[in-house]
Amino acid sequence: MGRELTFADAKIIQLVNEHFVAVAADDWFQRRRQDAEGEFFRKVADQGPRKGQGGSTRQGIYAFTADGKLLQYRNHQDPDVMRGFLLAALKEWDKIPPAQRAKGAIEVPDLKKVDARYAPTLPKDALIVNVYARILDRTDDFFCHGSCKFPGGQRASHDHMWIRADEWQALLVKDASKGQEIAVPAKLMYRLARYHLIDNTRGEPPMWARKDVHSAQIKLVVEAVTLSEVRLKLTGAVLLASDADPKAAKRGFDVSLYGQICYEPVKGKITKLNVVAVGEHWGEGTFTGGARPGRNPFGMAFELADPSRSADRVPPQGIREGDGYYSAHR
Amino acid sequence: MRLLLFTSASIILSLATARAAEPIKPEHFEKLHALIKPQADEEKFMQIPWRTNLWEARKQAAAQGKPLLLWEMDGHPLGCV
Repeated sequence: MGRELTFADAKIIQLVNEHFVAVAADDWFQRRRQDAEGEFFRKVADQGPRKGQGGSTRQGIYAFTADGKLLQYRNHQDPDVMRGFLLAALKEWDKIPPAQRAKGAIEVPDLKKVDARYAPTLPKDALIVNVYARILDRTDDFFCHGSCKFPGGQRASHDHMWIRADEWQALLVKDASKGQEIAVPAKLMYRLARYHLIDNTRGEPPMWARKDVHSAQIKLVVEAVTLSEVRLKLTGAVLLASDADPKAAKRGFDVSLYGQICYEPVKGKITKLNVVAVGEHWGEGTFTGGARPGRNPFGMAFELADPSRSADRVPPQGIREGDGYYSAHR
Repeated sequence: MRLLLFTSASIILSLATARAAEPIKPEHFEKLHALIKPQADEEKFMQIPWRTNLWEARKQAAAQGKPLLLWEMDGHPLGCV
């Protein structure tokens, strides 16, 4: 909701861009990090009302100085409230003696050691795929954006899929010929199914367990070959359900896939990866309440990310499971 | 071994439970892709140049003499929510 309410407000955007250095972070990682960055964050957060007792969340919006003095904290979405929050933070900032808040007055040392378990990094030469999900409604002959009662639940959600170099390189065959079928690595297919065919339109979603994958078939066929490009056609179908009997499952996703992957055979580089997944989703998770009742149209779109954008380098949600993300087929 | 991995996966996975999702028509592909992706009015929050590294943001704030604004959520605010 912060995307739709707070940070879509023109005045808030202006205030932030003019007066603050803005940073976004995942509390699940930040509150666990055992390094200087984690300690710094907890030092800031512990000056506010959320002290993370028992390892609980410290989520919210914090304004603070580079040396860690908390200026304001709120966990609110209303633009009126948050405009007031920003102005109050700037008032606190102005109370600090000018010499202490001048450019270069605070020294921030280099971060020497990083807690790799809770600061996941993109594997070398890995491919980043942007993943979007959206509720849909049916029209007479197609689909349209869906509507729901959950605030912001109609918007497209975001995530990112990481594909290791050896995995995407396995899709690039030498001397490809039209009609040739290319095997999709099982670990890639299961990663897609378990960690990316998910409904995150209302918050943090549950991932699918290995047993929840009732069927998964993805077919990749060479559709066209030129000297400069090979185009692959992707088709597939996946059935996910939280019960051994999909018809009795409280949560499920019955989905078909279609897409195109293009690569430059000489450079061995994927230049396009556009995939859609459309089907019926039903049910909700602990943190994704407010789902529409029954089975409803649900769509997902995948495309190559722009690694130069910091937002596109945000790790996949599923990476919280560590190596499990990369070995989803087990 | 690699072939075995691919093949065994296919066999196991082809024990498909009856499914209902209709195949996606090729002529619908581009239209669906555009429909599902975020629209421009859903991306206003990206008019703020969000950093994703708190430590680097600290350094920048110190160098520029500005306070920091941290958007901290369970689930990355620029990621999976």
